[in-house]
Amino acid sequence: MKKVIFPGLIAGTILFIICYGGLYMAVRLFPGLFMEYNNPLFNSDGNRDLLFYLHAFIISLALSWFWERFKSLFHGSFLLRGLEFGFVYAIVALLPVMWITFSALDITVLMVLSWFSYGLMQAIVAGIIFAKINP
Amino acid sequence: MIMSALLKSLLLFVSLYTAFWRPAVKSPAVKWVLGKDCTLKVNGSTNINKFSCIIPDYPKPDTLTIYGPDQNEPVQITGSMVLDVQSFDCHNLMMTKDLRRTLKQKEFPKIRISFINLSKYPDKGGEAELIKGTVNIELAGVKKRYSINYRTIPSGKAKLTLIGSQTINFSDFDIVPPRRLGGMIKTNDMLSAEFVLKVNILN
Repeated sequence: MKKVIFPGLIAGTILFIICYGGLYMAVRLFPGLFMEYNNPLFNSDGNRDLLFYLHAFIISLALSWFWERFKSLFHGSFLLRGLEFGFVYAIVALLPVMWITFSALDITVLMVLSWFSYGLMQAIVAGIIFAKINP
Repeated sequence: MIMSALLKSLLLFVSLYTAFWRPAVKSPAVKWVLGKDCTLKVNGSTNINKFSCIIPDYPKPDTLTIYGPDQNEPVQITGSMVLDVQSFDCHNLMMTKDLRRTLKQKEFPKIRISFINLSKYPDKGGEAELIKGTVNIELAGVKKRYSINYRTIPSGKAKLTLIGSQTINFSDFDIVPPRRLGGMIKTNDMLSAEFVLKVNILN
């Protein structure tokens, strides 16, 4: 359990800084990409902000458990193991979810691609952290 | 004898007074029929873009009654225009849906602008002018009084265009401006509202 929680919290903290910092910068640097979010599909009254910001820790703890179970399958340097881990997560979990999301919701391809890339980047960063601190 | 003379004088005075005195009667009320091409436009912004939404027409004309339409004197008005929130068009389907939801369209489908007064009756035959007025705006179940700056443009004896503008806030109507992605995308509280009244004057 300790091998899951501790790396999960470390990865969560790092992802929190990278992801929300990156998102903050992206909104300012590429505002055009975010205009699609002026859409009633997205929560707009702020009552779920806490859940939004907890996401980095939720994904990190889930991936930490996944890493602990399957880390023996990933070989090579810690960078390579993290990269492969990220791609496995993206193909097994993200791709099907993004597929059904795009097919069911009135959102653009660009939006779905950005979510896929965001999730892939999160999983690669988390994988590299896990490979380093929980090899 | 003296009493009789006094009585005659009094009767003469009363007769003359009633013959020549005219009470100060105010001008009769005037009706303004709001035409179908009345519009309401709101301009707002978020931290990433600007938006402009319009109700482009007014299919159910209403009548305003103007009391005391003497020029250069304040006039009182009764009557209102009632607009459908559903009619807002932001030139972008998602923005349109978003604004309707923000304005609580399901609970409060109408916007009511009740006209209270004007600082003076618009110059009928002259040039465009600036006048002030007061309205009550009822939106999302909240009524708020505003002072409005009007630009009046006469279009002949019986037609008039009034363009009223005022800055309003979402918060004036207990509406929380939308925020998304944990507040990274935020709509600004301030809106600029402009309504155009196309009036047919009935005496």
